[in-house]
Amino acid sequence: MSAQTPVPAKPATLPTLESPQSDQSLPVVNQPGVPFVEIEALRAREFIPAAKEALSSLLKEQAEGKLIRPVFNWAGRNSLFPLHWGLACCAIEFAAAFGARWDAERFGVVPRSSPRQCDLLIVNGTVTWKVAHKLITLYEQMPEPKWAIAMGNCATGGGPFRTAYSVVPGVDKLIPVDVYIAGCPPRPESMLDGIIRLERLIKERGE
Amino acid sequence: MQTNELAASLTSRFDSRILGVDGFPGLLGRVRFEPAIALDLFRTFRDDLGFSHLTMVGGIDWVDHREVFYALWSDADRVYVMLSANLPAEAPSIASAVPIWPSANAHERETWDLVGIRFEGHPDLRRIFMPEGYAYHPLLRSFKIFEPEDLEVKVRSE
Ligand code: SF4
Repeated sequence: MSAQTPVPAKPATLPTLESPQSDQSLPVVNQPGVPFVEIEALRAREFIPAAKEALSSLLKEQAEGKLIRPVFNWAGRNSLFPLHWGLACCAIEFAAAFGARWDAERFGVVPRSSPRQCDLLIVNGTVTWKVAHKLITLYEQMPEPKWAIAMGNCATGGGPFRTAYSVVPGVDKLIPVDVYIAGCPPRPESMLDGIIRLERLIKERGE
Repeated sequence: MQTNELAASLTSRFDSRILGVDGFPGLLGRVRFEPAIALDLFRTFRDDLGFSHLTMVGGIDWVDHREVFYALWSDADRVYVMLSANLPAEAPSIASAVPIWPSANAHERETWDLVGIRFEGHPDLRRIFMPEGYAYHPLLRSFKIFEPEDLEVKVRSE
């Protein structure tokens, strides 16, 4: 698989296996060899032929940078799996956000019970020094790439217990945090807003 | 049983090592005793006076000394009694009540953790609320509330 291999001539448009009408509407960026498609603009049924085309190309390096990473970014940010871990009163709102009324699963957010299956740690509550070890362990058990949200005033900066002897004044003393959600407790709408902001952040960073 | 009967039966056994039996609202009485007779006193209360249940153990920091107190409940008489002893401010310690009432276990760990009173003979005297390696007993009056900016408290890994 090297770029020096002579590239067979390709048709300028995508193969039209499943979607005969689609080849006119696709925004195809013409590069020598690899037809690169803006995957964000694709419809679901156009996606598979586009991916097949790019993956079967001899220039796998370009396909990796221009197709696979964006696809993983797109898939990852739209299916964030937070850890199902409640710490204090904010966990009630966390739970409510997954109930029928707010239905966070609309955004692909599904709480999982094992840190091995998660890529998002929502710290929803008061972190005491006693539980700090466990928080770090859970965060380190999550596979990369991973993100963290500090939900509520307690996780953001200690909240009402900021000067208490037993409370960590802000969970960013322990783990890197991507999004802070204010409120005591934040309503489920704020939590959903925080998750959407995190999705935007992941898209911008292109992780 | 009345408060004066309790005082009479205790002083007949322990003389001057019972420092006083005071009336106390809602209780049968508050018994102040010398820490040296703790185990004998506990045994007397459980076996002879029928106080079958230890409800709580706590501690107070009075700056110049520390006080440890026990709340006992009698199923037969349906009354509470409180025992209290003064301990020195330097390295306060007293015999553990766990051999007499096993329910003292967690309460004594809590009192050690927060007020720094040691209980000799406790089977497992570890901290209960704060992590191992925490440097202070936070309910002491000498404990300074810290600002998070000059955060000194570090959690050592276990
Ligand atoms: S921020 Fe408020 S609601 Fe949330 S855990 Fe702290 S005290 Fe509870």
